[in-house]
Amino acid sequence: MLNRLRRAGMYVITAAVCLLGMGAGGSAVRADAGDTSYQYSYWGETVASPAAYLAETIWNGERLGVGAFKAPSDMHVTADRQIYVLDTGHHRVVVLDQEFKPVRIIDSFDRDGQPETFNNPQGLFVTDDKHLYVADTGNLRVVHLDPDGKLVQVVDSPQSELLQANFQFQPVRVVVDKARRIYVMAAGVFDGFMEFSADGAFTSFIGANRVSFHPIDYFWKMLSTRAQRSQMVMFTPTEFTNLDIDAEGFIYATNGESRDSVKKLNARGNDILRRNGYFPPEGDIRFTITGGPTRLVDIDVGDSEMYSILDASKGRVFTYNGDGYLLYVFGGLGHQLGKFDTPAAIERLGDDFLVLDKALGEVTVFRTTDYGRTINEAVRSYDRGDDEKADRLFRKTVNDNANMEFAYAGIGKALLRKGEYAEAMKYFKLSMDQRNYSKAFLLYRKQVLRERFPAILTGIVVLAACAFLWRKYRRMRRGKKVAATQQRAV
Amino acid sequence: MPPLSREQFKFPFYLIVHPYNGYWELKYDRSRRSSLALSFVILFFLAVTNILQNEYSGFAVRIVNPDSINSIMEIVYVFVPVLFWCVANWSLTTLMDGEGKFAEIFASTCFAMIPLVLVNFPWIWLSNVISMQEAAFYRFSSHAAVLWSLYLLFVGNMTVHQFTPLKTVWTMLLTVVAMGFLAFLGLLFFSLVQQIVAFVATLYQEIDLRR
Repeated sequence: MLNRLRRAGMYVITAAVCLLGMGAGGSAVRADAGDTSYQYSYWGETVASPAAYLAETIWNGERLGVGAFKAPSDMHVTADRQIYVLDTGHHRVVVLDQEFKPVRIIDSFDRDGQPETFNNPQGLFVTDDKHLYVADTGNLRVVHLDPDGKLVQVVDSPQSELLQANFQFQPVRVVVDKARRIYVMAAGVFDGFMEFSADGAFTSFIGANRVSFHPIDYFWKMLSTRAQRSQMVMFTPTEFTNLDIDAEGFIYATNGESRDSVKKLNARGNDILRRNGYFPPEGDIRFTITGGPTRLVDIDVGDSEMYSILDASKGRVFTYNGDGYLLYVFGGLGHQLGKFDTPAAIERLGDDFLVLDKALGEVTVFRTTDYGRTINEAVRSYDRGDDEKADRLFRKTVNDNANMEFAYAGIGKALLRKGEYAEAMKYFKLSMDQRNYSKAFLLYRKQVLRERFPAILTGIVVLAACAFLWRKYRRMRRGKKVAATQQRAV
Repeated sequence: MPPLSREQFKFPFYLIVHPYNGYWELKYDRSRRSSLALSFVILFFLAVTNILQNEYSGFAVRIVNPDSINSIMEIVYVFVPVLFWCVANWSLTTLMDGEGKFAEIFASTCFAMIPLVLVNFPWIWLSNVISMQEAAFYRFSSHAAVLWSLYLLFVGNMTVHQFTPLKTVWTMLLTVVAMGFLAFLGLLFFSLVQQIVAFVATLYQEIDLRR
């Protein structure tokens, strides 16, 4: 009996060891703070990753001392770290400092001596010199206030032959570039963003989305008569869902399409986003049918071309670098700290993230973990051209997360600059980077050929000489044989 | 069976550069046993080439998921399509007055695969010393090998069945369709057998439980 028990125990232990071995082989991840996140590998598999950001606290209207928020829909953080929250339901803008102390509340302004208020405003933007632009959706206008809260101008009812006669201007989101041109995302506009000059005159549309339709719909449309067609839904480009502007004046925009849902628009409205990552920068690449694809609702551009997108269907924030490599994922839907109900806006506060929840009227503050700081710093150092530091930080990154394939390319690039080509090839292979591998390989091949050139040439000469002698020897022997047979014949 | 002489090893190389004469010789002048033996050797080399290609090709030309490498499946991917092709081709050409016997069809098909081995095998090692710019040569030669093989397949079919060129093209296209039918029938057959097995097993279970 005892023997049998012991044997059973042995089986259990063996099985456990086998299982442990399997787990260790699958994904080597050193959990930093116990919290884990995920990444997508080159092969499109979901792999474990340490958390780069952890939720620290939640601020709501009561805690801030300004009264509960009602359906806040937008947020902006200025260069000097003041936070502007647009409290849509209460038609006001709440300004906070970086310690989340209320600075002031803007709920009205003076227009020609008459006090005016906002009506259901949906979006706001604050320039570096603290000029505030509010997309005052309910009043069909964009309001521009100076730093003291005085009205500078009101942009409304744009006039242009590009617009239809019955066009109603419903601004939803707004950004302003360095030259004070105003870009407005308006409801029901399919032609892209509306661009206004600094004095508030409508100039043009930029960056229209492409029309996408189902081939089957197109087939039916082809078969239908003109009268039937006029009753059908028109193929129109999808609307944008949000936009942000970076320090160089490029507009980053999100839309509701399933492909190319993130765009970086230049002044002519062309999409110049780099999509060199393992997968296009569009959020989740694996999802269930019911979970649906990623539905992007906001985008935030940080420094060094890093940008983050907010997915409303899963409540996740995806951050990419300028080349389009996924850096980290955090957030989710739920009821715990760090989860959201209806996320509506994201902003960076320095290295921290703020996520605005529309339904709950809360702002969640996310702070970097050690791992997240390392990645951010590594990407920044690389962008600055500080290879030495980037190399060190990327090495630390892969030490924390062996699944971070993109970081190996960073190490490889530093090694390539140092001239260690063979080592660089090894790292590019780990990051599945064929282009850079090929670059390193060409240099390595040149180096090897140059070093071994005398040996290779000597070898060729010796081989040629051997072949020559061998042929001569064969001919001589054959000659002798022929001679011998001839002799015999005689 | 005569031992494989030096001449016999040279014959496949002669055939791929002189396909008309080569296939004629294969059909009328050569012993069937030795050509069948050579055919299996060629198929074996093709499978080996494919396996090595997955494992040892240079990183600049090919990235293979290590989880997806399966040598047994590679062998199956060589043998099954060839067998399907031969069966489909034979079934069609017997109805279309083709003069080819099954063994001849099989041998001609296998001999047409030689360029795939001859071209791709050296490239496995060469691809390790080329960059991405030079990978154009790699791609060009592998495409050229496929075209060469198709040409040999065409000439082989024409010679073995004594068809006109146009009729050969037609038969080859129809063979592809027939392969589709074969695959469908095979799947149907296996699915039905599975159902029957499951039915008998359930029946046995029921009787066993009611006893």
